Amino acid sequence: MTTTSSRRRTIGAGATLGAAVLLLSPTMAQASTEADGSVERPDEFTSAFSVMATPDQVIDADGEVSPGEEGATGDFMFWINSEEEVICYEITLTGVTGDYESPADTATHIHEAAAGEPGPPRLAFPNPEPVGDEPRTSSGCMAGPFTTGVEGDDGADTGEGFSLAEIEANPAGFTGDSHTEEFADGVVRGQLAQVPLDGIETGGGGMQQSSTQTGVFAGMGVLALAGGGAWMLMRRNQNA
Amino acid sequence: MSLTPVQLSPRTAERARRRPFWVAAALAAGLGLSGCGAETTADAADPPEAAEPAEATGQTGGSSGAEETAGTGGADGPDSSAVSSEAGVPPVGVSIPSIEVDESLIDLGIAADGTMEVPEDWDDVGWFDGGGMPGGAGPTVLAGHVDSTTGPAVFHRLEELSAGDEVFVTDAEGTVHEYRVERTAVFPKDDFPTQEVFGVLPEDELRLITCTGRFDQEVQSHEDNHIVFAVPVDSADAP
Repeated sequence: MTTTSSRRRTIGAGATLGAAVLLLSPTMAQASTEADGSVERPDEFTSAFSVMATPDQVIDADGEVSPGEEGATGDFMFWINSEEEVICYEITLTGVTGDYESPADTATHIHEAAAGEPGPPRLAFPNPEPVGDEPRTSSGCMAGPFTTGVEGDDGADTGEGFSLAEIEANPAGFTGDSHTEEFADGVVRGQLAQVPLDGIETGGGGMQQSSTQTGVFAGMGVLALAGGGAWMLMRRNQNA
Repeated sequence: MSLTPVQLSPRTAERARRRPFWVAAALAAGLGLSGCGAETTADAADPPEAAEPAEATGQTGGSSGAEETAGTGGADGPDSSAVSSEAGVPPVGVSIPSIEVDESLIDLGIAADGTMEVPEDWDDVGWFDGGGMPGGAGPTVLAGHVDSTTGPAVFHRLEELSAGDEVFVTDAEGTVHEYRVERTAVFPKDDFPTQEVFGVLPEDELRLITCTGRFDQEVQSHEDNHIVFAVPVDSADAP
């Protein structure tokens, strides 16, 4: 079955005005943040990341395996614009039961942690909802500077000073997870893997151009035939 | 295998066009604007030729878990619900008998602008090496051009594939992985379903990608991508 989704066209006068504003005042490039911390989705991103979070990847603070909820999975997708410090997220949890629990502002995070290693949360996302129903989902965009609500060894918030460019520099050094009351170490967890942005440029247009040329030649042929017919008609009229 | 971006893709050029003039001018002067599909150069890999595909056995691992199984060709029930915990083995060849494709594969990565590299040669088929591998978890993504600047290219008949058609992918260990087309779809490039195509999965799946739709002369790019989604039927050792 072939399906075609609707085309999105957003570039227009607004984009032109936006570019002019950026030229005039670079400091205004910062995304405007709503009261709940969310921002509008940027027109463009600099990178995208996918996470397949599973219970078997969960570890405790000592780096020991601490399995999450059996049968649970987490599908995390992130889009980053590191120039504007904006991250957009689409998170889906399935098979997760019970309430969330975490010392952070929320219980759904990106930690700076390699596979099998513990590490501090750098970003805290709104928890997927609804609790008690399937699937739990959370989506939106948020902009830095970021806070997590967790105080690090240095006394500062673990999100303080964090830049999204750090994820782009080493995606495998970051992990996505979520925590519940029953599975405080993590109900599911998985490493970030970079995936491509946008569509794939797999064509040079040669077939369309050749068909266009064929159409042009065909059109020229029709015109030539019509011209020839008209000329012969004129000759006949002159001879009559 | 190193991958070195050398040219701007039409999409990159389009982005440059949207940026302030001096930025676009600098990019154009420094790198040169190119035709579609020449965004990056993948090394001229020389993987072994794909083994002859094993005869389709029709064996399945169970009923289809696909929601959008189309047509009747998938009646054998490709096992899309089988969860693979293995990493898989890098693919080196692809064979699609119904459209007479039998090609070795080159590796493709992610370009500097965040988009996927594409083969520089119109007749090469590439594998996204940041994704899944045959026999392992996650989607194995293969891409090829639908046309060159002058005529048809390696995937010009990809749109002919429909549910039930067979695709054989040979891995570096010589194992032939048999997939069956589950569905096809067309997506605008400016609304590309990244998660659906590249998102990490617990299952072994296959994606085949090429261009389709109107060719925009201004940005030297087709407007849409045609994507074939396939699921494994079985694997068999290469003869």
